[in-house]
Amino acid sequence: MLLERWRSLLDHRFLDLRVMGVERLATTWALFQALLVEAMPFLLIGVALSSLARWISPGGKWVRALPAHPLLGPLSGAALGFALPACECGNVPMARHLLVKGAPIATALGFLFAAPVLNPIVLASTWAAFPDQPWLLAARPLGAVLIAVALATLLRLLPDSQLLQPALLEERRLSQPLAEVTLLERRSGLIGAPAGGATSVVAGSSRRPPLGQVLSHGGAEFLELALLLVMGCAIAALVQTLVPRQWLIAVGGAPTLSILSLMLLSLVVSVCSSVDAFLALGFAAQVTPGAVLAFLLLGPVMDLKLVGLFSILLRPRAILLTAGAASLVVLLIGQWVNLILL
Amino acid sequence: MGQPDPALRSRPQRSLTLRRLAPGPLKALALGLWGVALLQSYLSGRLDLLLRAVFHPLVWASGLLLLLLAAVELSGRWRDASRTSGRWTSLLSIGAALAVLALPPRPSFADLAANRQANLLEEPGLSFVLPPAQRSLTDWVRLLRSEPDPRLYAGDPVRISGFVLPIEGEEPHLARLLVRCCLVDAVPVGLPVRWPPDQPRPRPDEWLRLEGVMVSETIGGRQRSAVKASRVVPIPRPRQPLEP
Repeated sequence: MLLERWRSLLDHRFLDLRVMGVERLATTWALFQALLVEAMPFLLIGVALSSLARWISPGGKWVRALPAHPLLGPLSGAALGFALPACECGNVPMARHLLVKGAPIATALGFLFAAPVLNPIVLASTWAAFPDQPWLLAARPLGAVLIAVALATLLRLLPDSQLLQPALLEERRLSQPLAEVTLLERRSGLIGAPAGGATSVVAGSSRRPPLGQVLSHGGAEFLELALLLVMGCAIAALVQTLVPRQWLIAVGGAPTLSILSLMLLSLVVSVCSSVDAFLALGFAAQVTPGAVLAFLLLGPVMDLKLVGLFSILLRPRAILLTAGAASLVVLLIGQWVNLILL
Repeated sequence: MGQPDPALRSRPQRSLTLRRLAPGPLKALALGLWGVALLQSYLSGRLDLLLRAVFHPLVWASGLLLLLLAAVELSGRWRDASRTSGRWTSLLSIGAALAVLALPPRPSFADLAANRQANLLEEPGLSFVLPPAQRSLTDWVRLLRSEPDPRLYAGDPVRISGFVLPIEGEEPHLARLLVRCCLVDAVPVGLPVRWPPDQPRPRPDEWLRLEGVMVSETIGGRQRSAVKASRVVPIPRPRQPLEP
């Protein structure tokens, strides 16, 4: 009876936003839900992968064995995308796992920025959307690697404390050999006892934790990230409803403007990298090839939905730097492609 | 000595309640609600409004996995002391999941379409052509795009359904939304309609079934195909309103 009443409340006038005369708000709410239900499974896949990695290799020895070389590091991080396929939302928990377990920062950043493109699912969807444009199938992963190397190189110029979130940094220090942590950073003396006791069980131990504990840990990680995803989706849905998309595609024919407008569109639309190629297909004929590539390159690295998720890894200044530098590199790549193909 | 102070006696009760609320059960509730929200959106058909059917299994499988995580958390046996998501994280998550559960998506297709560039169909055309009366609105648009000469279709019977899309400076079109992934990338495709003069003007976003014939008309010196409607019937929004 109560259920019936509740259902009728949900499905009828009382909560129907359109009846309240706020059609735009109702559309925004639907867009928000669409973005959320599309991204949430991918986020969960990412959390599942990082939990699996935590279970299989609790000490994370393989993570610390990844190369720290300024070029090889980001490249090997990018290549990890083939082994750990997830789109950009799913990549955040995995990148966090890599950083916590003491992976070289450049390697983890290489993974964070390039793996959303360099994975079988995304490459297959790009091929499915553009089977007659082989250049795009080559240019997308190449561009993604270039951006990842550029961003990793740039962000490594920042000191760790200005790059990574303090909580993450603290967890990370527990996985690093004591010799790599400066005396000032050691909050708990020289014997290497866990700082603050917040992360000792997982980060410090190399014993395989029970599966239930890994699941519980994954649940907490999911909730934390889901909340950030909710915020990102809300912003993206609001901006999408307020800014007519025609404004963004109207300048399709102009080489530079078309690139800039599609870069802006990729920031706003915020769909996952595994499906964005199909979206790009929709306006590929209206815009320059460089603009299509720019759309496919920038979205996986930075968009409104991701800003919240990145805040669990990077400090605001580093996120701003990432956005600025990624935009610049994508613009240059787009211009170069237009120069060749137009 | 003797009887303990009643205030002191109630304290363990209260702390027990607080302990129940924090943070494990809250976390289990948040995970469970997200799981229910995803499953409910699939079971209630809301997902048909939001996402293409090919992605639906991902959503319900995620819902089941989240319920499993909630059960693990609720058992308390494996609770991971090393990572306790804050109480606020759980509370805000519960609020967001409840809002998603309580407020179903009710987008205005006309409003959404007004914000998108129309006619972005990329497909070269139909691989085969159905008889005119069996073509859907999308079939017609694809056909007209691949072979736009209006004289080819003049007099063909038309039976289509869609929503009313207001167009600036002309009569409203009948339209559908094409979706490749989710509502976010929906683009409208529409057909111009000559509405029956003896019937009231259709309301934006209203779902209609039209019967009529294809005619050729000249707009701005250019010939195009339009549907001359002889019968207009209001219909409820279809269960799967988005077209691939």
